[in-house]
Amino acid sequence: MSALPLAFLSPWLLVGLIALPALWLLLRLTPPRPQTVAFPPMRLLLDVVAKRETPSRTPWWLLLLRLGLAALIIFALARPIWNPQAAATAGSGPLLVVIDNGWGAAPEWDARVDAASAAIAAAGDDGRAVALVATADGARREIGLETADEAAKRLRVLAPEPFSPDRALLLPALSDWLKANPSADALWISDGLAGGNARAFADGLTAALRSRSLAIRIDPARSARGLAAADNAPGGLTVKALRAEASGPETVRVRASDLRGRSLGETDAAFGVGAREATATFEMPVELRNDIARLEIVGAKTAGAVQLLDQRSRRRTVGVVTGATSDTAQPLLSPTYYVTQALKPFADVREARGQGASTAVESFVEQKLPVIMLADVGALTEDARARLGAWVRDGGVLVRFAGPRLAGAADDGLSPVRLRQGGRTLGGALAWETPQALASFAGSGPFAPLAVPGDVTVTRQVLAEPDADLPDRVWATLADGTPLVTGAREAKGMSVLFHVTADTRWSNLPLSGAFVDMLRRIVDLAGSGPAPRDAAPGTQGAAAAQPQGEPAQAAAPRATLPPTRTLDGFGAFRSPPATAKPAPADGRPAATPDNPPGFYGPVDAGIAVNALSPDASLARIDLTGLDAAVSDVVAVEPTPIAPWLFTLAALFAILDSLVVFLLGGGMALLARRGPKAAALGLAAVGLALVAHPAPGFAQAQPPKAAYDERFALEATLATRLAYVSTGDFETDRIAKAGLEGLTQQIALRTALEPGAPMAIDPAKDELAFFPLLYWPVIEGAPTPSAAALARIDAYMKQGGSILFDTRDALTGGRGPEGESLKRILAGLDVPALEPVPRDHVLTKAFYLLDEFPGRYAGSPLWVETIPAADEGEERPARAGDGVSPILITGADLAGAWAVGSDGLPLFPTSSDERQREMATRVGINIVMYTLTGNYKADQVHVPALLERLGQ
Amino acid sequence: MAVRAGLLDPSETRVAERHEEAALGLAGSLPRLVVAARRASATVVHGLHGRRRSGTGENFWQFRRFTAGEPAGRIDWRRSARDDNVYIREQEWEAAHTVWIWIDRSRSMAFRSSLSDTSKVERAVILGLALADVLVRGGERVGLLGLTRPTASRNAIENLAQALIAAGDDDAHLPPAAAPIARLSEAIVIGDLLAPEEEIAATVASLAARGGRGHLVAVVDPVEETFPFTGRTEFLDPDVAGLKLVAGRAEEWRQGYAERLARHRAALADIARRHGWTLHIHRTDRPATEPLLALHARLAEPAA
Repeated sequence: MSALPLAFLSPWLLVGLIALPALWLLLRLTPPRPQTVAFPPMRLLLDVVAKRETPSRTPWWLLLLRLGLAALIIFALARPIWNPQAAATAGSGPLLVVIDNGWGAAPEWDARVDAASAAIAAAGDDGRAVALVATADGARREIGLETADEAAKRLRVLAPEPFSPDRALLLPALSDWLKANPSADALWISDGLAGGNARAFADGLTAALRSRSLAIRIDPARSARGLAAADNAPGGLTVKALRAEASGPETVRVRASDLRGRSLGETDAAFGVGAREATATFEMPVELRNDIARLEIVGAKTAGAVQLLDQRSRRRTVGVVTGATSDTAQPLLSPTYYVTQALKPFADVREARGQGASTAVESFVEQKLPVIMLADVGALTEDARARLGAWVRDGGVLVRFAGPRLAGAADDGLSPVRLRQGGRTLGGALAWETPQALASFAGSGPFAPLAVPGDVTVTRQVLAEPDADLPDRVWATLADGTPLVTGAREAKGMSVLFHVTADTRWSNLPLSGAFVDMLRRIVDLAGSGPAPRDAAPGTQGAAAAQPQGEPAQAAAPRATLPPTRTLDGFGAFRSPPATAKPAPADGRPAATPDNPPGFYGPVDAGIAVNALSPDASLARIDLTGLDAAVSDVVAVEPTPIAPWLFTLAALFAILDSLVVFLLGGGMALLARRGPKAAALGLAAVGLALVAHPAPGFAQAQPPKAAYDERFALEATLATRLAYVSTGDFETDRIAKAGLEGLTQQIALRTALEPGAPMAIDPAKDELAFFPLLYWPVIEGAPTPSAAALARIDAYMKQGGSILFDTRDALTGGRGPEGESLKRILAGLDVPALEPVPRDHVLTKAFYLLDEFPGRYAGSPLWVETIPAADEGEERPARAGDGVSPILITGADLAGAWAVGSDGLPLFPTSSDERQREMATRVGINIVMYTLTGNYKADQVHVPALLERLGQ
Repeated sequence: MAVRAGLLDPSETRVAERHEEAALGLAGSLPRLVVAARRASATVVHGLHGRRRSGTGENFWQFRRFTAGEPAGRIDWRRSARDDNVYIREQEWEAAHTVWIWIDRSRSMAFRSSLSDTSKVERAVILGLALADVLVRGGERVGLLGLTRPTASRNAIENLAQALIAAGDDDAHLPPAAAPIARLSEAIVIGDLLAPEEEIAATVASLAARGGRGHLVAVVDPVEETFPFTGRTEFLDPDVAGLKLVAGRAEEWRQGYAERLARHRAALADIARRHGWTLHIHRTDRPATEPLLALHARLAEPAA
């Protein structure tokens, strides 16, 4: 039986198979039933001396049938099971269950937990102790043995962690434990990824187990998908999607959402055949891209498939203005060429084309760019200067490059330092002998982390007046101590001055790589816009106290940032757990147990830590050569096949009796009654043989109902009112007559000419065609099925309105119809309801109404609660955002509207015909309300309404 | 498929109109039957046979003297004129032969197998009624033994059939042991004659006590002759409830049964010969005209 996945729960019953030969012998000896004949000369037969005769034998195939029947029954009684639950490991000692709960285990977490709990339950059934270890728990000193129940409880509480655990940390504790429990077996439910020393862990585990068995459960086909290396490039936002298997083509959908969780865009990343990486690109405007805070693979419920973006990946738009005429024929001589090239990798450059400097500056300020670079701009117009100054103070970063014009212009207050007139040239009066090299970056400036380039030389520069605060503003100095770059904070913004030109005339700084880094650091200083930043990084207070202050740095003066929001193992946001520690301000490439992925620091100025580092790649764990039993995580359900065997045995029994019947001359019995009876009997027997009970199979999904075009045309070619057919003939008749009457009145009194009302069944028909649904609630109405409730819910959410009419105003609404309504509404997402307030737009939608009678008066009409009116706002008609999706009344409205074919009303009202007129007005108001919404609540109508109301 | 054989329901074996019609049809194919006169007779017209005594008739018998008290219209004046005495002419008593028919309607006659079209009783009834019609057309008188008086009317079949219907069920295997038939009458016994030989001998002896002639017609089903049963078979006696025989392999009984049947028939032939009767064996799968013709021939031949 080892070849087949078959096991017997009561194998000792198979001993009964011994009885089969005895049965065979018995059947052979037992002669078959004789055929009976009425024989007139029987008396003569009596005189015939019969010789000793051998009895007639049962035919061999009948024998086989009976033996098979007996064998089937014996097999079925032994309770065979197909695909038996393979015990995790068949052993007697304690069971060690190691379950991976890093981010890679999150997508199929339920299946893993099920497999682990099944193994623990099996161990518990066998009476073995269990030790449960989760790999993300970190190094443990010792592992304890528990009973299966305790282990199962602990398993339920386990959740995947959002980082990739280092499994090697567990090996010492596990080896010790395995040494202490020599008869233990091990089961490892792995996530299939090779990261985190998986193979080393497996090797260590097998080594520690020595001769005992290790069972590994691994999903052979799929593993978790990851996202890494989100990059806000000039063309778009790109992110790499990773997978561990180099299998066939696959498309994953990546969604970008902002901090609030609103989806900003979705795009696809397609894996090629055998590829383990794919790139997804979001081509969106920069402003939208800068809002993106979170990228995730749709449907992959794991923290590894989430990339968080902080403000470091925001692209800034930089406006570059030059005072010199741009010479497009010789681009390398253009003053902005080098700056533009240097800015391109991390910012979007906007240049002023064909405009004067002042105009360009004004337009950039209007566009609210965060950074403006002026390359050799001398004087600006008064207006431009004022606006630029205001812009800087509002939070913009102004970068100026020196040049002949600047050197010759008067100080306009837009530089961080006062400039000394007259530059310094090589060989000039205030000159060097040799070009000066860049010596150092100021420790308090933004360039502090940068390495000083050795290849930058300066031949000419402008000088700064040596004021008292000059040293604090110097960011980069030359070898002889003169500043090369100075910068100062101004209110919320900053102004920076490069004492050389933006091109290579005065220095070769624009040619060096350090130029790019310096520009990047400066651009990073700017927020994404000059809007007031309430969480200026770090020391805004400090900056206010110290007017010179350390220049505010995007790298906060604090070395670590506390976590504000972290991801759990499934990639959802949660408040940081107790084990999360502050992360260094420069960020971490990948998450660790101490720094789970999430946002650290203030919202606008913090950093994001991601589960996968930008250079991460996923690979499947390599289990070749490992002495372990590898199987699938999801074990196939064991199926008992005893019912099948019993069915087969029953079939054989029927066949046997049929055969005996036929052999005993049964056909003669049938034939005597006539061939028709014989045929009938055969047909009945055949039917009985064919119609055997088979185990029910899950029905294949029924094909989606074909779109009922005729219904759709009918429903939409005219606006129609619709009523829900309840199944009760009388109620449906009244509803139809009522809606017909209402339709007539609407056509008479208003501009709308509806078509004839239609009956619909919410379970089958498309509801979206109807603006208003009238639902008469009867006692004992069946609760709609889940599918019907979903459709009704969708209808109400997408703007439809349902008018429920319980028609029990006389009994005060506590009757069985109320119960039915409660039942129906229990499955729907119903908003808060209130009786229609006096100033609801429903009271003013067409007619001015005080109350809402139908056939019965006194029953309130319930609508969705609208937000309370603001203080001081006295409007005659108010409404919420949309039309109330649900209206409930107890006055029998359809009964009041119902007219017969002769045009006379069908039912009397509770008082008089005036109430019927009011009921008609109620109906028209409701229909107008559902069709026009808040139209009447608009301010435009207030004077008219007030006039009508007599105020 | 094995041969199917069984007894029919009593409702199906009761005499009905179809028997009359079938008998008429069968008899229509035969010429009228005139029973051969056993004594020579002047003419054989209408089956009236001279009885050698005076009585009613058409042939001259004798002249005898007129005695007082006889009606005067009987005087034969021509003969009386030749003499001085007055003479009365007497005719010979001519009477038709009486043929007595007896049909076995017991349960065992209701047997019918798949090898034949009709049950034995049906064949017997039709045979009997047809024979009656042929005889009556030939002027004889026919009666059912034990049931009716002899009748020579044209509607003999109907009368006899009505008599059979009225008689209801009858389980006797042999004619009732009543008074023997007259010397010049004939008896025809139609049945399966499976009763024990002694009983048959006794019955025949009592019927033929006065010298009447008879014919035995044994109607058999082909199954009873060929015994085609195989396999395990249980045989039931139709008349005696509860009497059964289980044969393990029926085909092994075939030979024994055939021998026993042959002995039985030999005994029957012997009985018949002893009393000067004849025996006919008729299988129901043979056409009914066969025994009719045979009987026709037998009845029409002059006595040896």
